Amino acid sequence: MAVPISQAWTVASYVLRQKLKGRKRYPLVLMLEPLFRCNLACAGCGKIQYPAHILKQNLSPEECFKAVDECGAPAVSIPGGEPLMHPEIDKIVEGLVARKKYIYLCTNALLLKEKIDLFKPSKYLTFSVHVDGEREHHDFSVCREGGYELAVEGMREALKRGFRVTTNTTLFDGADPNSVRAFFDEMMELGVEGMMLSPGYSYDKAPDQKHFLGRARIRRLFRGIFSNRKASWRFNMSPLFQEFLMGKRDYACTPWGMPTYNIFGWQKPCYLLQDGYADSFAELMESTAWEQYGTESGNPKCANCMVHSGYEASAVNDTFSSLGGFLDTVKATLFSRYPDVQATKLLDDEVKPVHSHNPLVQLQTSSTSPQLEETRA
Amino acid sequence: MSGTEQANRPAVADVDTLEVVSGTVHEAIEGWVPDVADPEILRVALEKAFDYRGDVTITRRDGSRIEGYIFDRRTGATLEQSLVRVMPQGSRERVPIAYSEIAALAFSGRDTAAGKSWEAWVRKYWEKKAAGEPSVGLEPEALE
Repeated sequence: MAVPISQAWTVASYVLRQKLKGRKRYPLVLMLEPLFRCNLACAGCGKIQYPAHILKQNLSPEECFKAVDECGAPAVSIPGGEPLMHPEIDKIVEGLVARKKYIYLCTNALLLKEKIDLFKPSKYLTFSVHVDGEREHHDFSVCREGGYELAVEGMREALKRGFRVTTNTTLFDGADPNSVRAFFDEMMELGVEGMMLSPGYSYDKAPDQKHFLGRARIRRLFRGIFSNRKASWRFNMSPLFQEFLMGKRDYACTPWGMPTYNIFGWQKPCYLLQDGYADSFAELMESTAWEQYGTESGNPKCANCMVHSGYEASAVNDTFSSLGGFLDTVKATLFSRYPDVQATKLLDDEVKPVHSHNPLVQLQTSSTSPQLEETRA
Repeated sequence: MSGTEQANRPAVADVDTLEVVSGTVHEAIEGWVPDVADPEILRVALEKAFDYRGDVTITRRDGSRIEGYIFDRRTGATLEQSLVRVMPQGSRERVPIAYSEIAALAFSGRDTAAGKSWEAWVRKYWEKKAAGEPSVGLEPEALE
């Protein structure tokens, strides 16, 4: 199991309490962005495209605690920007641990080794390290050679000191499923607790507006990646959300499931779209026209979205909404290998991005030649 | 104007057949000074300002000026009922300004994402590799 039982129990009991209270819309994970500054300049990122005076701003620890208390979600994800660049990140984490929130500190880990003395290992704190695949793929994706090496060094140090460490990986058009599967082996060998994956979302403000997967391609890619699994692979994702990515089930979006707070306030409607801000969590929930968002709404900005911030909460809700959903989750947990001959054939397909994407290698499957690499430059 | 109505992306007939998606089309509007005397032009220009990845300068009808980042806009039936919210340079204040108060608008700040496409990164990568640089990367811009 990729998530400790105490965490699974905390989340499950929270969701059941919301159900018993009859709450139709409730948050599952608060996305707390304490700053927008970053030490990377990834072309696909839509979170850091601001003037300097905005990038210099930080949420104070007190502002973070107020947002966490207002929201009430059992888990807090701290993305950014790069949260380890926040001058008081240790105080923010300490305050959230004291509140018994399960924290995912999302970092590129370039500074992890340097800053690790600021933190104490806790079951509530996980370093969720952004790694977009094997060395060359990651470095190219984050536009920085050497980024992978530093991230792995940081992870090793954190694991050595007893911290919980997971990875989060974003996949774009041109992702090579065989390379992603080889990356799973690398991360498991390194000793991370679990892995999270998500298709990249076409952020409005990102410099790159071309390389985002559509839903048909997302499903094929994830079917290839997630089927025929090795028993050693552990994923830090809802089992039903994984099936959603593989095209085995369909969900409507739950944009309120992972609300976002940053220096502008509560972001409408979700972590990915910026359609304005509310000054309080209550105002966000009451004033957002939720029906205008989600793929099913027809909003073109939601057309390709299959991202966890909209759909993992839908999957978790499904688990607790009916006996069928619960049994499906149990089944997906116990029988998670997903044998699929057709998916193996998908791995043999040449990776053909619609737009020229990257000049990196495409690994061949074991059915052809496992040792050879084919250059697509 | 709702999020759906203002989306500057093409509508998609069947999202489940999409291979890749068309991203947002960003116009080159850095330096643009629209004539906002016409209420309809004002509305359109403020929607573009809301999507803009840089600062703007707003001159109010009382002559005061504010330069900053528009992070929110709320549109109503009239200009009086519609507003933008600005985070001014050097401040964490969230300053509301009704559309009806706005006499002039200028896209005065730099578009912070312009020219940073994926293709630009790939081009730079190969140029630096050809020049023999051992470790190639894009650095975030200095904040001063």
